[in-house]
Amino acid sequence: MRAWRPVLAFAALSVVLAGCGSADTAGTTGTAASAAASAAPAGPWSFTSGNGEVVKADKTPTRIIAHAGEAAALMSFGIKPVGIYADESVKTDANLKDLDLTGIEILGQEWGKIDVEKAAALRPDLIVGDWWPVEKAYSGLEEGVDEKSKKLTELAPIVGVAQGKSIVDLAKGYEDLAKSLGADVDAPEIAAHKKRFDEALAAFKEAVAAKPGLTAAAMLAADDKVYVANPAYAPELLDFQSWGLKVVNPDSPDPGFPYWENLSWENADKYQPDLILYDGRSYKPTSNAEWGKKQPTWFKIKAAKAGAVVAWPAYWLHTYGDFADELDNLTTAIKAADPNIGD
Amino acid sequence: MSSSTPLARRASALGPGLALLCVLLALVAFLSVTLGSRSIGLPEVLRALASLDADASINSTVTLELRVPRTLLGILVGAALGVAGAILQGVTRNPLADTGIMGVNSGAAVCVVFAITVLGVRGAGLYVWFAFAGAIGALVLVYAIASLGREGATPVKLALAGAAVTAGLASVTTGIVMTNVDALNELRFWQVGSLAGRYAPILTGVAPFLILGLIVSLGFGRTLNGLALGEDMARGLGQRVTRTRAVAFAVVAVLAGAATAACGPIVFVGLVVPHVARFICGPDYRWILPYSMLLAPIVLLLADVLGRVVAAPDELQVGVVLGVLGAPAFVGIVRYGRMSEA
Repeated sequence: MRAWRPVLAFAALSVVLAGCGSADTAGTTGTAASAAASAAPAGPWSFTSGNGEVVKADKTPTRIIAHAGEAAALMSFGIKPVGIYADESVKTDANLKDLDLTGIEILGQEWGKIDVEKAAALRPDLIVGDWWPVEKAYSGLEEGVDEKSKKLTELAPIVGVAQGKSIVDLAKGYEDLAKSLGADVDAPEIAAHKKRFDEALAAFKEAVAAKPGLTAAAMLAADDKVYVANPAYAPELLDFQSWGLKVVNPDSPDPGFPYWENLSWENADKYQPDLILYDGRSYKPTSNAEWGKKQPTWFKIKAAKAGAVVAWPAYWLHTYGDFADELDNLTTAIKAADPNIGD
Repeated sequence: MSSSTPLARRASALGPGLALLCVLLALVAFLSVTLGSRSIGLPEVLRALASLDADASINSTVTLELRVPRTLLGILVGAALGVAGAILQGVTRNPLADTGIMGVNSGAAVCVVFAITVLGVRGAGLYVWFAFAGAIGALVLVYAIASLGREGATPVKLALAGAAVTAGLASVTTGIVMTNVDALNELRFWQVGSLAGRYAPILTGVAPFLILGLIVSLGFGRTLNGLALGEDMARGLGQRVTRTRAVAFAVVAVLAGAATAACGPIVFVGLVVPHVARFICGPDYRWILPYSMLLAPIVLLLADVLGRVVAAPDELQVGVVLGVLGAPAFVGIVRYGRMSEA
């Protein structure tokens, strides 16, 4: 009787603490957290978040809830979150679709909707989401989401890496975060991702350098219009530009939504790149042929007619591994492209 | 019927007026082929039209494969919406009747969303048939609900049934779209009426329905005149009111269904143009119908040309232009015109 009284008392205490949204970690038995917890340094812990704020905790967080891509980034360093909220089905989310999510609670599969009650039951001690400098908000907590979703921030401190001008910076930022959380980023199976990325990058740069005249435009076709992406708002396109690929900067992006320049189908041929980087979120190997059949002017873009169309990982990349895969794909397309087909 | 003299006098002016509208429509159609978000010189447009070789250059492609079908579709759809609006206002004796409040748009939208979410269909070319079925289904539903009860589909019951079906279907669409981002993205394009991106296959798909509907509708003038006198009077004149209404609804269903299927919901043309026609012609539907048939495509094509020119190299959807221009136009008609009760 005397032996298990303290246990009862502790259980009661932890329920109270969880109710207050406090960061109690001592009583965790979750399978997801245990692996990371064993490796995690005791603390105190601190991390400089994307908004410049320094977030501190007495103990290193182990029960993490993360937004989709950010979760993928942490998992690539061996930190497994206890919960994930995504903007779409985790089966189709580009960051998550190939990951094993068993043991992870899915807290939302639609932008703006997070099941905060379920999240509270996970007793998280850290929330991770990208920091969006323009919106001044973390992923999933931007203007326009369900008010209830915003209560997620009351459960635990929130940190994230700032979305900005480079996917490499973003991946590096999550590497730092994972390291602070106890990840062994030099472990061979983890370092392999980065090594693969470095190799893919070298091959990409080499392929680009071999075709100095090659130009590319990032595009998306729709039933009523053609869209040309503005690299200024697409970190991966800025990365490509910094590595030497000439990605077209559209001259008149939509003032209300500067991510794209909108072209009517009559003006589909305004830009004549040698290679079309097609928005990977809707790219299929058959896309080019389908648009050519549907829209009389799509094949007036010479690169489209020549079949020089490749998927561009639009706005979702977070990890070295994913970026390496995508770069390999692009390198193949660049090697195959004819640098004289456009203007 | 002592007003035969003024009516006859009016007819002597209305006939040439109709011819004038034909010329105007031809002129606007010419503008629609020569102007657009891409600047193509007039000689080049004429050369393309003369050679009919769409592959000669991109300007020929744009002229022959984009602008010509777009203009033809604009003419047919505009005429269909104008006539459908005029018939609906006549049959329901409701000056606010247009195809939208009779459930056409919401019925079409619900079917498109169903096709996207349940059947996994993608692409404007396929939505056409679902939209067509949905539009007709909604009109049939409205008519069936309004027909319940002894007195049949009276104007008041039609208006109420239309409003109820529209609200019901719209909430189903919203419900699905709110939980399915994919459907929302696809519907976003379809939900604003537009002539862009619809080419030869869509035109040839809906044209037979539209042309047939337009020809049949021209025979309705006398019947609508009878109905305008009131149900009892129409009956007294030997009309079979219930059957007339059912046939008129069928014609409207084909016209509005095909038009909405091809271009998405286009507002105001069906509502405002019949009022303008009535303002010019007086109460005689034998004139209102052909006037609506010519005025509506003129308005639609002008709005479309405007939307293409002001935003180049982008385009504004014709539905947006009409919404912006149509509201003040309707206010003007209400304020200054004699808003006759159909």
